[in-house]
Amino acid sequence: MITKDTFVRGSKNGATTVWMLAKIILPVYFVVTVLKHTGLLEYVAIIFAPAMSIFGLPGEAALALVLGNALNIYAALGVISSISLTAKQITILAVMISFSHTLFVETAVTKKIGIGVLPILATRIGLALASGIILNIVL
Amino acid sequence: MSAVEIIKEGLFGGLTSVFNIALIVFPLMVFMEIAKDAGALDWLAKLSKPITRFMKISDDSAFPLAIGLVFGLAFGAGVIIQSAKEGNLDKRSLLLLALFLACCHAVFEDTLLFVAVGANGWFLLAIRTITAFILTAIVSKKIKLPNIDQN
Repeated sequence: MITKDTFVRGSKNGATTVWMLAKIILPVYFVVTVLKHTGLLEYVAIIFAPAMSIFGLPGEAALALVLGNALNIYAALGVISSISLTAKQITILAVMISFSHTLFVETAVTKKIGIGVLPILATRIGLALASGIILNIVL
Repeated sequence: MSAVEIIKEGLFGGLTSVFNIALIVFPLMVFMEIAKDAGALDWLAKLSKPITRFMKISDDSAFPLAIGLVFGLAFGAGVIIQSAKEGNLDKRSLLLLALFLACCHAVFEDTLLFVAVGANGWFLLAIRTITAFILTAIVSKKIKLPNIDQN
């Protein structure tokens, strides 16, 4: 049954989620912006450019993949919104990160259900890599 | 660009991003609570039955599947573990269910988060769901899993 309590709980969940994502997105966005204007981001871009070109992404997009997988989707969003990307590139990154993100936490969760760590990591990372390569060709 | 300008851009750019994402996430959380209290989960579990049939796993998997698809892996896993404890899920159902959810979970939140930064949401959702289906179908057919059918 929908009562006042429903809205209270919903608002609480909403506020908690927004606070959680703000705590991550704000520092990530800030650091990437500083890196961008001090020229350090260019180094990152140059180092990762060859690998990222397989997915049709600029080198600095590697930051979104790394943070998305090591931390969570929010961290990846912080990177995506602070660097310049085309619509196609954002969609490719979104698909790749959707398949494979928050690996430490989520792998621990799936392990509890009884799936091995290696099979699940191989599946998720494999799907991310394959989808990135294929989408870069077909989109 | 001066240091002050960089700091300003870093702060306000970040706040703008958070605000845009909050515009989507906050109403979504309220909506999900409303849906929960309106009994949408039972309804979703019913809708998930064709998926469990397709995966050839037990009907009792439908509820945990619906939870995982809507609310994410952590919450979904809790329900799955509970169902497994109560003995409603055989080993094969459990593995296929977990595999499906590992590829495809929290579909509303994850999809809308990426829409907030400019991704094509329908495309993202379609790719993720279709891939999860295909992958589970392949694993269910090709790989021999302990088959203890309880139905």
